[in-house]
Amino acid sequence: MMLRSCPREAEVKALVVRGQWPQACAPELRAHVGSCRACSEVAVVTDAFQRARNQTLPAARPGSPGLLWWRAQLRRRNAAIERISRPIFGAQVFGLAVNLVLAAAVAAWQARHGLAWLTWLEQLPQNIGSNWFNSLLPADLFSSGSLLGPTALIAALSGAALIGCVVVYFVSEKQ
Amino acid sequence: MPKRRISRMFWESSIPNVVAGGASLEASSAATSSMDDEAFAAFYERSARSLWAYLARTSGDPALAEDIMQESYVRFLCLASPPSYLDEGEIACRRYLFRIATNLLRDHWRRPRAAFIEDLPESLFACPGEQAPFDSQMILGPALKSMRPRERQLLWLAHAEGYSHREIAEITGLASASIRLLLFRARRKIARLLQSLEDGRGA
Repeated sequence: MMLRSCPREAEVKALVVRGQWPQACAPELRAHVGSCRACSEVAVVTDAFQRARNQTLPAARPGSPGLLWWRAQLRRRNAAIERISRPIFGAQVFGLAVNLVLAAAVAAWQARHGLAWLTWLEQLPQNIGSNWFNSLLPADLFSSGSLLGPTALIAALSGAALIGCVVVYFVSEKQ
Repeated sequence: MPKRRISRMFWESSIPNVVAGGASLEASSAATSSMDDEAFAAFYERSARSLWAYLARTSGDPALAEDIMQESYVRFLCLASPPSYLDEGEIACRRYLFRIATNLLRDHWRRPRAAFIEDLPESLFACPGEQAPFDSQMILGPALKSMRPRERQLLWLAHAEGYSHREIAEITGLASASIRLLLFRARRKIARLLQSLEDGRGA
C-alpha cells in the first residue's frame, strides 16, 4: 500500500472538527477534496468519528470524583502499610529460620550423645502409682554427668516455644 | 488492650501519616501536591466523558468502559511520578490518563475470554430519549466492528479526540513512524467500509 498523504489533510480535518465542513469552507478546498483521495478519506472518517463522539459523550454517566479520590487514598495507604510491613515479615522469616536451625541443632546434638535420659519415659507407668510427681522427672535427672542433656533440651524447647510465640504474636498483629 | 494501643501509637508516630494517608509516600505525594481533591474533581468533570466515550467505542462494552475509566483515574492518582497538573497542564494529564486507560484495555484484551465484547448491540450507546438513529450509529458502528481493536483505538484518538501522531504514540506506546503507517491503513480501510455501507443504504 502506497503511503501518500496530502499537505492539506490537517486543514480539512480542522474544518471538520470545527463543524465548518463542507458549507463554510472555500470552494477551492471543496474542489480539492473532491479530487484528492487522502483528503476525502480524512473528511469522511473525521466527520463520522466526530458525530459518533458527540453522540457518545451524553451517554457517559461518570460517577462521583470523591469516591475515586477516596479509593486512591485507600490504595496509597495500603501500599504504604505493605511497604513498612515488609521488614517485619523479613524478621518473622528470620525468626522462623533461627528456630528451625536451633531445633535441628538440638536434635543432632541429642542424637550424637544418645537418648539415655529418655529411660524415665519407660519407667513412667510403673512409677505413676507410687510417686506421681517424681515420675514426671527423669530417673537420673539429679545424678551427676547426665544433668546437662535434659536441661539443655528443656531450655532449647523453652527457647523455641518462646520464639514461636513471638512469631505468632507478630503474625496476628499484622493480621 | 491498652498495651496494644500504646504499641500502635509508637508505630504511627515513628512513621508519620501512614495510616492517615496524608503525606503517605514520597512517591505519591507529588500527585497530591500537584492536584488536590477540588482540582481533581474539576479535571474529572472535564475529562471523564471523553475517556468513557473512547473506551466504550473502542471496547464495544459500556460497562467495561466504566470499570476501566474508574481504574484509570485511581491509578492516575496513585502514580509514582505523575505529570504535574500545575507545570505541564491539563492536556498532559489527560494524555497520561488516556495512556493508562489504553494499557488497561490492552491488558483486558490479552486476557483469555470465552466471548468477545464486540457482540454487544450498538443500541447500548443510544442516548436516553433519542428517537431516530443517527447516521454515525447506522454506519460507523458496523464499520468499527470490522476493525481490529488497535485500529479502532488509533482512529478514535486521531479523528475523534484529535490527537497528533506524536501524542498517539505517547498514549499507545508505539513508535511515531508506525502510527503514521498504521493510521493510514486503518483510515483507508474504514473509509472504504463507510463508503460501502453508505452505498448499501442508498441502494
